[in-house]
Amino acid sequence: MKSTPVRNGINAGIVFGILVIFSSLTGFTLTATKMIGNAVNTMKLMKTTGAMAWVNLVIFVILLGFFAGWMAAKRRDPDKISDALISGLVAGVIAGIIAAAYAFLIGSLDAAKVNLRNYLPYMSKDAIKQFLFLKKNDLITPALMHFGYTIGGSLLGAMFARWIVRGKWRLNINQKFVEGSTSLASLPWVVNLRNSAYFRYIALGLVFLALFFIPRSLSSYWNYIIGLVGIYVLMGLGLNIIVGYSGQLVLGYVAFFAMGAYSFALLTAPEPHHIMLTFWQALPLSVLLAALTGVLLGLPLLNLRGDYLAIVTLGFGEIIRILLKSDILAFFTGGPKGLRQLAQPKLFGKPFHGDVEYVYLITLAVILVIFVTQRLKNSHSGRGWESIREDQTVSQAMGVNTYSSKLLALAIGAGFAGLAGALFASRNLFTGPEDHVLMVSINVLCLVIVGGMGSIPGVILGAFVLKGLPELLRDLELYRMLAFGALLVVMMIIRPEGLWPSSRPKLENQFLEINNSPQPTGESGEKAG
Amino acid sequence: MIWLISRLYTVFFVEQVYGPDTWMRLAVSGLILGGMYAVIAIGYTLVYGILLMINFAHGEVMMLGAFGGYFAFEALEAISAKSVENPKLNFLNAQPLLSVFIAFLTGMLVSATVGYFLEKIAYRPLRNAPRLVPLISAIGASTFLQNSGQLLFGPQRRDYANPDILTRGTGWIINVGGSKVMLTYTGVFSFALSIILMVGLYLVVQRTKLGRAMRAVSQDKKTAALMGIDVDDIISKTFVISGVLAGAAGVMWGIHNGLINFYTGFIPGIKAFTSAVLGGIGNIPGAMLGGIFLGVIEAIGPAILGIDFQLKDVLAFSILVLVLMFRPSGILGEALTEEKI
Repeated sequence: MKSTPVRNGINAGIVFGILVIFSSLTGFTLTATKMIGNAVNTMKLMKTTGAMAWVNLVIFVILLGFFAGWMAAKRRDPDKISDALISGLVAGVIAGIIAAAYAFLIGSLDAAKVNLRNYLPYMSKDAIKQFLFLKKNDLITPALMHFGYTIGGSLLGAMFARWIVRGKWRLNINQKFVEGSTSLASLPWVVNLRNSAYFRYIALGLVFLALFFIPRSLSSYWNYIIGLVGIYVLMGLGLNIIVGYSGQLVLGYVAFFAMGAYSFALLTAPEPHHIMLTFWQALPLSVLLAALTGVLLGLPLLNLRGDYLAIVTLGFGEIIRILLKSDILAFFTGGPKGLRQLAQPKLFGKPFHGDVEYVYLITLAVILVIFVTQRLKNSHSGRGWESIREDQTVSQAMGVNTYSSKLLALAIGAGFAGLAGALFASRNLFTGPEDHVLMVSINVLCLVIVGGMGSIPGVILGAFVLKGLPELLRDLELYRMLAFGALLVVMMIIRPEGLWPSSRPKLENQFLEINNSPQPTGESGEKAG
Repeated sequence: MIWLISRLYTVFFVEQVYGPDTWMRLAVSGLILGGMYAVIAIGYTLVYGILLMINFAHGEVMMLGAFGGYFAFEALEAISAKSVENPKLNFLNAQPLLSVFIAFLTGMLVSATVGYFLEKIAYRPLRNAPRLVPLISAIGASTFLQNSGQLLFGPQRRDYANPDILTRGTGWIINVGGSKVMLTYTGVFSFALSIILMVGLYLVVQRTKLGRAMRAVSQDKKTAALMGIDVDDIISKTFVISGVLAGAAGVMWGIHNGLINFYTGFIPGIKAFTSAVLGGIGNIPGAMLGGIFLGVIEAIGPAILGIDFQLKDVLAFSILVLVLMFRPSGILGEALTEEKI
């Protein structure tokens, strides 16, 4: 199966044809056209609503076709225009045929008065009507329109791939960029500035000033979001120690978060125990309790190998959630109702209430945690963790006590999660079993991996990308988890080291590259797929 | 161990909270559940045996298969087969055996397709990556499939439309210790089918050329390739076979339990993984035994230990933890080398 232009085109065409159907079935077409509509509307291009929906769908279809053509053509030799065009054309024809057939099918089903919505909740009358370009009693025209626009978009995409992405233009830019950055970084005054202690202090001071003033100028909603991102940064940094530094995949991380939140809640809530500690008394206690849970969980389990540990900790997280939700422990933990009226912090006799104060508090916690992480990373135990991650057997032979090292990583990571849980519970004045579902663990794992395992700025970036961006793109709320899943797979294939990888290279990868003898099996089959 | 025996003695002969009919009922439901776990667990074990990775998305493959069967039943119900004496008859009840067959075929086909593409897209590019990388990719694939299930079919539970001969809650009534215990048709059907599937799979693995190639690849990929086996092809076929089993289990799940939604695959997936570990992962008879064992334990365990039935999931996970702690190679697993465990 040689990689020919036609073959590339067929592959891309099928993928994008399925994508068209999938996005229509999940209602994504409707959402996307609405977003396109908003974007176009701000430019005052169209006025009437009927034409709006029509034009937006055209843009959407052309965009999809564009990506299909791009994908088909980008692998081709940049010097051959004909190759790129053929790939683009084939991709467009295939994707167009699939889209047209699908449009024809749902159109005729709708005409036959089959209520698709019973089975596929996003296939409402409006969605179907919109997918058919608002044409009534006519199936051929919409199908032809889908076909035509897809081919058009695809050819455009192929040309784009040919001229802009693979052309000489980009090469020049890249060269200039690389040269520019190296020359800038090697200028003597830049080097002096970077090494000067004053500069560092001034930069730090500026960052702190920004952290102080930015929350004041933002609305309460944005501060809420920033607080949430901060809590996820805390959790991400904790999981980063466990997964990124010591290389133990823990999937039940939410259990420690829950331990922190519930310890805090039980220690401060009036019901069911009436202990009523203040915030500052309960916070360290809940961090300690969460860390203790980490140790207790780690003692029997840390000798397990990678994927077993992942499944067992996942099971542990589920056990905690089921226990919290069940009626059996309701007398102790409040059961499914959760716990209310938790303590909020008081400083110098003044109570905290607004989101701004919580943003300060969480930022402070994040800075503290970053400091601790940074110190740990370069310490004796940090080096021990990294050696365990690279090769446990060798590290043991070098005299690292792997068991207690891993236990320490788990305890510290769990403690950070406990801190995050306590802050989260206090900010919400409430905690219940629904705050501690498996999705939290997956989210945190995602942000660590997307940001870059073992990298502190990576984790912060990951938290902003995964928790902050979805708030910006409110319309895409429904598709967030879907995108997370796809993102994890794609990241693992394209960029397993993350968006902002840690500066220390992973030895394992280099080792693999050296040792990677050519695969004995169908290499060609892989290429085609 | 001694504690367990004394506890059994207490439950059966001293306390006697439950009569023999209740035990019978629990054991039957445990066997039915265990049969389904076993069929799903084989999928985990097959893939683990060959790729040494946990196919985390296997439960979601099963869920999609269950939806395949659901849509097949709905479509067949919509086809009219009315006759003079019965104007309301539809195809589903006119040809119940054929309908059930079609539903299973659809479910298996859907799951096998999903399994095939899952391997091709999410796992194949990572064949030589460090071991955590494919696992994370599998978690991503699982999240993706689960959420596409939610977006495609909506969050609400859907009622499986069984043909009349397999109506849920009907069955043969047998007499145990003076009171009646019902063996539901759906349950007996599922259990029998899971036994048939297990025997069939065992024969495929042990007697056919494909099975021999699969065993060879699971022992040593490089040597198998040198002997002329197309390793990529065998891995694809393994995913298709485990998908077929997962699809059948999904349709069984729907027929027997009645309600399915996008979350249906998650808990059975984890339980089936537990069963696979319980029996010794990579070991096919072990997965069958482990599945049935886990199903029965889940059904009668809470009664024996005298705890609430809400906690049956906790019991299953605790068993997983205990097995991994004390005997990571499982009941039937051989002593594994450092590379495999």
